[in-house]
Amino acid sequence: MKTYGTEPGAPSSVQIGISELAVVDGDETLTSYGLGSCLAIALYDPEVGIGGLAHAMLPDGDAADNSDRKPGKYADTAIRALLRRMVEQGASYTDVEAKLAGGSDMFDFDNFGESVGKRNVMAAKAELEKLGVPIVAEDVGGDHGRTVNFTPQTGTLVVKTADDDERGVKRL
Amino acid sequence: MRLDINALGTFYRMAREGAGLAAGRLTHMTGVETRVGVTKLNFMRGREIRRDLGDETGRVGINVELTGAIEGHSIVVFDREGAGKIVDALLAEADSTGELEADTEEFDRMSQSAVTEVGQVMNSGFVDGWADVLEAVIDVSTPTFVEGKSADPFMDDLTNAPGPNDFALLFRNQIETVDAEIEFDHYLFPEPDSMATLLEQLRMSDGIEYDKLDGFDRMAEQGAEEMAKTATTLTGIETSVEIRRLNFVSLEVIPEQVPDEKLVTVAFEFDGVPSGYLFFLFDEESATEIVDAMVPMSIEGDPFDEMGRSAITELGNIMASGFLDGWANVLDTTIDHSTPEFIHDIGTAAVDPIIVQLGETQEYAFVFDTLVVADGRAFDCEVYAIPDESDLERALNDLDVDRIEETPTTAEFQDIDHS
Repeated sequence: MKTYGTEPGAPSSVQIGISELAVVDGDETLTSYGLGSCLAIALYDPEVGIGGLAHAMLPDGDAADNSDRKPGKYADTAIRALLRRMVEQGASYTDVEAKLAGGSDMFDFDNFGESVGKRNVMAAKAELEKLGVPIVAEDVGGDHGRTVNFTPQTGTLVVKTADDDERGVKRL
Repeated sequence: MRLDINALGTFYRMAREGAGLAAGRLTHMTGVETRVGVTKLNFMRGREIRRDLGDETGRVGINVELTGAIEGHSIVVFDREGAGKIVDALLAEADSTGELEADTEEFDRMSQSAVTEVGQVMNSGFVDGWADVLEAVIDVSTPTFVEGKSADPFMDDLTNAPGPNDFALLFRNQIETVDAEIEFDHYLFPEPDSMATLLEQLRMSDGIEYDKLDGFDRMAEQGAEEMAKTATTLTGIETSVEIRRLNFVSLEVIPEQVPDEKLVTVAFEFDGVPSGYLFFLFDEESATEIVDAMVPMSIEGDPFDEMGRSAITELGNIMASGFLDGWANVLDTTIDHSTPEFIHDIGTAAVDPIIVQLGETQEYAFVFDTLVVADGRAFDCEVYAIPDESDLERALNDLDVDRIEETPTTAEFQDIDHS
């Protein structure tokens, strides 16, 4: 969800809806709510504290004709768009690290075929490998939902599940 | 007049683009941080629009007439309290001594002109967004300030207001301040002729006859009524249909509407013409109440243990049958549904896999969005039915509109022994 008029520099939380991505520096937190089969891709440069979060919905943007308009919708194009914007803002390509969360498969419907959650995770991993970006942490798969908060300055990705207790929160 | 997904998709992009520009300008003018909430194309009957606009707490609107590429009326509506707050923000910006204060009760001339100015800036934001997408010129009249507790003042000025039974296609936007204290609704009432011309320009396939949209509404109505009836039969809780909407939205918007709290979801896939997905979302309190009503022994501890789950799943199953029987009757076809899937998790996360699945083949969706409630008890059930786009088009094209009126509903259910 796009927010207008955010004061520059003020710590705040920006919500990244499905198919959206954002790159920030400073101690801003990026949040994606209720990921099921969708995948949260967090990239950051630990040296300069610049990073971004994408909330990708499908694996393969190169095969889709609207990926120019919506790069954040697909795992592969989202990763490239995040990297490009981060480098534009001063991140150094070779320092960038990745964290992943999401990609669950919650339903067992006939039409679902090969699980799309798993395919999202595989597509992201393949693209990151191609670009030489190491995955330093991940919490993917399973059959439960996740909400993530990502703070590029510290590189911390907090993953929450629906369990209220301590077990429901992971810090990656 | 015919419409297709491409034309509706363009309308949707217009609505979204317009909302972005309107929000940006509002921020620029008032210094209040804003964001665009859910954007929808709504197919609504005149009487439902009136019900939506009427609000006992009173509402304020700024209405402009459009000519050019779109003809019709664009109205920015906010509740009185919200209008008061926005005026306060605006006057504080203009007058740093803070001595001026907006009087929301009276809406004096100064407040009125401030609200009108805000509404006008937003209206032009919307219109500029639409003009950008259409690459055409749209002219805007001088604004009129309207206020009232019913829909009349908002709709009386419209040259072609939809009659109670007329189906209108509305652009619906919400813009909210980031602290969520003020929300705006935006309505575009296009002139039918202008709409027809636009649809004709934007259409890229045969699509469906506009009149067949009536079939949509009948499907929604019969599906919802059957569903509420079956829920009452099974649980003994008197339920009714509170809200029923037919929306055309971008897939991504669907999970945005679902609360990101822990919900109980029962989901189905259905097969036939149309095929698609159907899911029932209960908040935990409602789900617990339903388990209490359905399971004879009182439950200690987890209400969603095996017995609780099976009760809710069974209710979902029977409601799904009722809903899809309603559709099948209108469409004169058969629709089968899968066995239910029970999910007790973050609501958004339960909806997202379905959006992801549909996202492989379509960008937009028609969503039949229904709220079932019970008098004086917690029984809030949100129902979303999302048919596969191409199937739906086929189903509607096959539909004989004249037949719909006489369609009986035939669902039969066994009595459940509650003793």
